[in-house]
Amino acid sequence: MKVRISLAAMALTALVAAGCGSSSNSSTTSASSGSSTAAASSGGSSKTCAASIGIEAPITGQVAVLGDEQLAFAKLAIADDNKANGTNITLVQGDTQLNPAQATTVTQQFTSNSKIVGVVGPAGSQEVQAVGPLMGRAGLAFITGSATNPALTDSGKNPTFFRVVSRDDVQGPQDADFIIKHLHPKALMIVDDQEVYSTGLVSSMIPVFQKAGIKVDHESVSQKVTDFSSLVAKVTPQTTVVVLPWQVAANGEQFGKNLQEQKKNATIVGTDGMQSSSFTIPGSYVSAFGPDITAIPADASIVTAAKAAYPKFGTFGPPVYAATHVLDEAIATACKSGTPSRASVLAAVKATAEPTSILGQPIHFNTKGDLIGAKWFLFKINQQGKYVLVTNS
Amino acid sequence: MRFFIQELVNGITQGSLYALIALGYSMVYGVLKLLNFAHGDLYMVGAFIGYFVIQWFGGPMALSIPVPLLLLLMFLLAGGGVGALGVAIERFAYRPLRDAPRIAPLITALGVSFFLENAMLLLFGASYREYNTSAFISFSTGIHIGVLNIDIVRIMVIVLSVLLMIGLTLLVNRTKLGKQMRAVAADREAAEMLGIDVDYVIAATFFIGSALAGIAGVMDGLAFNTIYTLMGFVAGLKAFTAAVVGGIGSIPGAMLGGLLIGIAESMVTGYISSTYTNLIVFGILIVMMLVRPSGLLGKVPLQKV
Repeated sequence: MKVRISLAAMALTALVAAGCGSSSNSSTTSASSGSSTAAASSGGSSKTCAASIGIEAPITGQVAVLGDEQLAFAKLAIADDNKANGTNITLVQGDTQLNPAQATTVTQQFTSNSKIVGVVGPAGSQEVQAVGPLMGRAGLAFITGSATNPALTDSGKNPTFFRVVSRDDVQGPQDADFIIKHLHPKALMIVDDQEVYSTGLVSSMIPVFQKAGIKVDHESVSQKVTDFSSLVAKVTPQTTVVVLPWQVAANGEQFGKNLQEQKKNATIVGTDGMQSSSFTIPGSYVSAFGPDITAIPADASIVTAAKAAYPKFGTFGPPVYAATHVLDEAIATACKSGTPSRASVLAAVKATAEPTSILGQPIHFNTKGDLIGAKWFLFKINQQGKYVLVTNS
Repeated sequence: MRFFIQELVNGITQGSLYALIALGYSMVYGVLKLLNFAHGDLYMVGAFIGYFVIQWFGGPMALSIPVPLLLLLMFLLAGGGVGALGVAIERFAYRPLRDAPRIAPLITALGVSFFLENAMLLLFGASYREYNTSAFISFSTGIHIGVLNIDIVRIMVIVLSVLLMIGLTLLVNRTKLGKQMRAVAADREAAEMLGIDVDYVIAATFFIGSALAGIAGVMDGLAFNTIYTLMGFVAGLKAFTAAVVGGIGSIPGAMLGGLLIGIAESMVTGYISSTYTNLIVFGILIVMMLVRPSGLLGKVPLQKV
């Protein structure tokens, strides 16, 4: 019996080790490849530009699918920038599970780690609200690739916060305006997924629809639900548009399949999280805070590497690549005048002036930390399931 | 009327899956008085096994075997694999605690649940995966009358669930193993004294209950397309509720409870609003439990004196 128990224990340990191995391996690879590249490209330089960046992302939990994508793109950026700049920047992972309390704990760990001179993330606006003052006190620059609540920069409570994406007060009303002017619905259904991100966008759109005299059926369904047939049964012939501001693209795909199954012809309009190879219902629209980098020729090499690292990436990865790149460049700049510190990296981030980026636009922050000229992108999915840019503004 | 039938079919489809999972909860509770919180995660593992079977045979767009054979293999491998996993969990996680205070196996069950979720997350990643059933089973097959549209997959889920429930009822009521299961559920010590191999009966119960959850996982993937590593939590919670509503320990009760919850969810979504689905459904359930604490078909336990 003891032998059997030992065997079981060994099997369980191996299972966990296999999983942990895959996780920590990639992190180490990123660091060690950076190290070896630095030695090769610095060509005899006696001093290596070394520092650490923390990443706060929901690596486990209900939206781990987003966090994993963000982590993969952060690792890619570090590897690319270490190679290009001859730096030895390493990435320290912090799993926030999209939970403000967990994000606070991770931030306390990061602020007490003197090697960390900048942070990528956190992913959610509610997390930024929780950790902003802590980051500010520690003088730690942090750049998000997905927190879009306007108050984060308007409130003045987060002095070291930056973002490389547009704000909700741009996206929601513009989406609604596009739907009214181009899809001309008399009635529409709008479904939130019961998360802050989704309910925020829905709240900003509904008044615009109502003002235009459109009959709105506001529904709400948990992000964890994967069958929408009961909801789809409520889509009437007069309901020609269904708006899904969701974070899980696969759920949007299933909603579309439920529509087809019940022979309903409503056009789906999704947002951000829906921009993924997992959502390919022809004729649908998706608005996003980030571009489709597969359509940007200059991003070809990144796309190839990203597809190898995270095949089904969507909107959440590329902005994190951009945010990590800003920090990498800030560290490289700080290294030119000595050992990088939090203060010198923060100053360099504030002075960021990248003429272009993975997002196909310049990166330059205003005094509040918002991206100047942040774009909003709208795509239509063609019959082949490809995303075609309709407008950006 | 057709809208009502459409919502009824939607509810029965979802309810059938809740019922299949609830059966495992109820069976295990019946023989061990244990709330096996890892049961929902077994359902998730079954869904993943089904997914990998599709991939092994070329993926949904380029299957190398006929669809009926594929479905058979998916159900057999998911049922068998998850059944075996259930037996292993019972053997290594629950059996050593069989005589411990009841809180110990309960906490262990939660631990097993988290272990399964996170082991799957580490092994296969957090990405949502899709069965893409429509690529190999056409939506056009099924019943389509006016606004009423019931595709063949939903019909298959309902029919297969009913067959499995009938099979389980026959097994429990008409076979020697079923009689032994009922004996262990009634009084484990007395059953042991009568020469029943209690360990074997409990292992068999875990195998059957887990296999049903595994098969339900495959049906979920086929009908609802999307699977992910944390999908077992909510489904498990709803199925547990179904088992309690029906009368935990009662097999017909678990079936009834599952169907009731599925239909109630669908009707509230269809006729009131999806915003209030959980609020209203669980409100009704609370009232039901206040009126009948032992569940719809549960029996009030006899007090031993």
